[in-house]
Amino acid sequence: MNSHSKKSKLSQLLQRFDQLGIVLVLIVLMVAVGFKNSTFYSWDNIINVLRSTSFIFIIGIAITYVLITGGLDLSVGSVMAMAGILSAMTAQAGAPLLVSILCGILFGFAIGLINGILVVRMNIPTLIVTLGMMYVVDGLVLIVTKGSPIYPLPDSFKALGQGSILGVPNIVLIALVLALIGAFVLHNTQYGRCVYAIGGNRETARLAGIHVNAIQMSVYVLASVSASLGGILMAGRLNSAQPSAGSGYELTVVAAVIIGGTSMFGGSGSIFGTLLGALLMTVIENALLLMKISAYWQSLIVGIIIIFAVGLDQYRRKKYGMG
Amino acid sequence: MQNGGEYLLELDHITRRFLSVTALKDVCLKLKRDEVLAICGENGAGKSTLMKILSGSDSFGNYEGTIRINSQPMRFRSTKDAENAGIEMIYQEISLHLDLTVAENLFMGALPATKWKTVDWRRMIKDAYEYLQNVGLHVDPRQKVKTLSTSQQQLLSIARAIAKKPKILVLDEPTSALTQTEAENLLRVIKDLKARHVSCLYISHKMDEIFQIADRVTVLRDGEHIADYAACDVTPKKLVEDMVGRKIEVLYPKQQAHIGEEILRVEDFCVPHPYMKDRNIVDGVSFGLRRGEILGIAGLVGAGRSELLNAIFKAQEDGVSGKVWLEGKRIDGLSLRGIKESGIGYLTEDRKRNGFIAGAAIRENIVLASLSKIVRGGLIDHKAERQYATEYFRKLSVKAPDIETPMFHLSGGNQQKVVLAKWMMTDLKVMFFDEPTRGIDVGAKTEIYRLISDMANQGIGIILVSSEMPELISMCDRFLVLSHGKFRAEFTKDNVSQEKIMKAATLVEEN
Repeated sequence: MNSHSKKSKLSQLLQRFDQLGIVLVLIVLMVAVGFKNSTFYSWDNIINVLRSTSFIFIIGIAITYVLITGGLDLSVGSVMAMAGILSAMTAQAGAPLLVSILCGILFGFAIGLINGILVVRMNIPTLIVTLGMMYVVDGLVLIVTKGSPIYPLPDSFKALGQGSILGVPNIVLIALVLALIGAFVLHNTQYGRCVYAIGGNRETARLAGIHVNAIQMSVYVLASVSASLGGILMAGRLNSAQPSAGSGYELTVVAAVIIGGTSMFGGSGSIFGTLLGALLMTVIENALLLMKISAYWQSLIVGIIIIFAVGLDQYRRKKYGMG
Repeated sequence: MQNGGEYLLELDHITRRFLSVTALKDVCLKLKRDEVLAICGENGAGKSTLMKILSGSDSFGNYEGTIRINSQPMRFRSTKDAENAGIEMIYQEISLHLDLTVAENLFMGALPATKWKTVDWRRMIKDAYEYLQNVGLHVDPRQKVKTLSTSQQQLLSIARAIAKKPKILVLDEPTSALTQTEAENLLRVIKDLKARHVSCLYISHKMDEIFQIADRVTVLRDGEHIADYAACDVTPKKLVEDMVGRKIEVLYPKQQAHIGEEILRVEDFCVPHPYMKDRNIVDGVSFGLRRGEILGIAGLVGAGRSELLNAIFKAQEDGVSGKVWLEGKRIDGLSLRGIKESGIGYLTEDRKRNGFIAGAAIRENIVLASLSKIVRGGLIDHKAERQYATEYFRKLSVKAPDIETPMFHLSGGNQQKVVLAKWMMTDLKVMFFDEPTRGIDVGAKTEIYRLISDMANQGIGIILVSSEMPELISMCDRFLVLSHGKFRAEFTKDNVSQEKIMKAATLVEEN
């Protein structure tokens, strides 16, 4: 009995170790950077880091849901750009702020729905569906913009992306609110429980009477809508909707989610972990900048961290016989 | 060559411990030349540990005791060691390369080569014919293995083992995937081998097979050596009692429940065959089930028993037709969720695949099918959830530290109890059991039987599908035998026997 409880404590620690690992890496990094260059702790820099983190995190929340169900969504980067462009164009054409935002969001909703239907009804692997969708939406972006950015934007639109309350940028506040909602839903609602169950064992969930198809579809809609929101905010922030606004974002977001300890195999993960993952991605970028190390190093470091995070996940599965 | 004394293989006082568990305790086992020795025991008796030690695949290899071949002490550190000593294994699950040809599989690891070091196909095909003939397998060596039937694949595994010219062949329940006729063919091949001086260790718990081919029988239980018999002076009943360690009556704690009015009615039910187009695996069956009744559905593997339950529960819908009434109300139009809500539960054949969530806690698994009971306005009432989970955790005496223990830490029997708890928490009227005791130890089996019996006592109608005849016969009130899509016979408790069921199950094949 004694040895058993000891063992389960150890396994509990190991199960949380991946997040413990990130927290340690984060702390070490922040102390080291602050030591070398104290501007890291300046208000401006902190706000800067938080703002960049927020863009990754807003989409990361929804991608955490997708990954927990055992899925993947690579189309969010393109959706981000296209939604920003659609909103910017309608805003330029004189539509009220709310209408132009709605345009972008509706676009995301439609793409998410198509992704979901293809994955659930046609049974096409999620990687293929969303990879294809990434190219399709990328294509749309280029067709619509012919490659040039949409600017300038109306003041109300700009204020959305650049405004702040008590010195905290709108985008950070929005991310905070979404995080609280995202975490609450995941842990305290029937919907959240079903998301975990589907990723844990889809067939078991289905036979327990859970609407697995509807829930799987909904997470893709969630991902695309979040990406649209991110894209709109980014257009406002830059005062222009860039055709390349979201390029590479899909992978940055997935990386943040995985580093945060969400399993690529579905069934486990947390919003808090994703927050840490997104923060780590941004802090590394920021640290390299402040320490005057070439930004070229960033990809290399992130890559190592991803492999380490997924490797640890695999190891845990093997060790505890879940694989 | 015959200088090694009477015994070809001797296992002398073998003990194998895993951390706190002793899987084998002081087991002695002796195999004579040219004989078939049957090893029988329930799941968890230590058969597979024994196999691992004997095949050199026990990754740690730190057992106590000695293995002797021809009186020479041996220690196998890898499967290669065991092969070199002349031991070949044939496992329950067939391990062939499905996309390669018969000949390639046969000579895998030792492909005949030309002088250019390329594969000598001509010689390989020629040799292959010879080895296939040995086991009575008449197929083209150039055929891909995936085009063979299960029994042909099993025969190919044996041909492959024989190709290595073993002295000892170890077979682990080789007939579990075969039909009656196919199994008999396999037994013939084994008898043939004996005549060619290959000795066999035959691991099985099927009584009829043991008595057909074994010269002697060794019984294991809970890792201990229980008895040795010459096959001619022991009865199946005695063997089973040795295997389970008590009188069989105790194993099945079935109480006679009050059998009430009809609760489930199925009419003209058809389910399409999963592989063969334009054929029904269940072809127009009709039956009824009463409150408190346990209805046994017997039949061979592949007869369509699981498919029937799957289709009634709507786990599989494509091409299914037929009418189903629950308490007089038509339910065949409902979705899976609707079927579940109307009071049917379904414990599936393969719990690992679709019975529970391995990475989730016991608590989450127990409440999974009854989320509406712990949810108020979309929000989970965590306190109610813990109360429910604890209630069923205790009721079924699941052996685990607490309800937060992840499922993958539990033994098969305890996992099955959690799956059962999940269904008991729903408001059951009818419960389907498909092979409820597969792969779980004897103690947990009895507990599962007691729970099934209790459910019947509460007036729940139960359908039990099982390939274990004694289990089926002891637990059920009525029996339907499914074969080739239709019910071929119906028996009651008073007129049933294993022979009658087997006869009905194989009826069409012999016509």
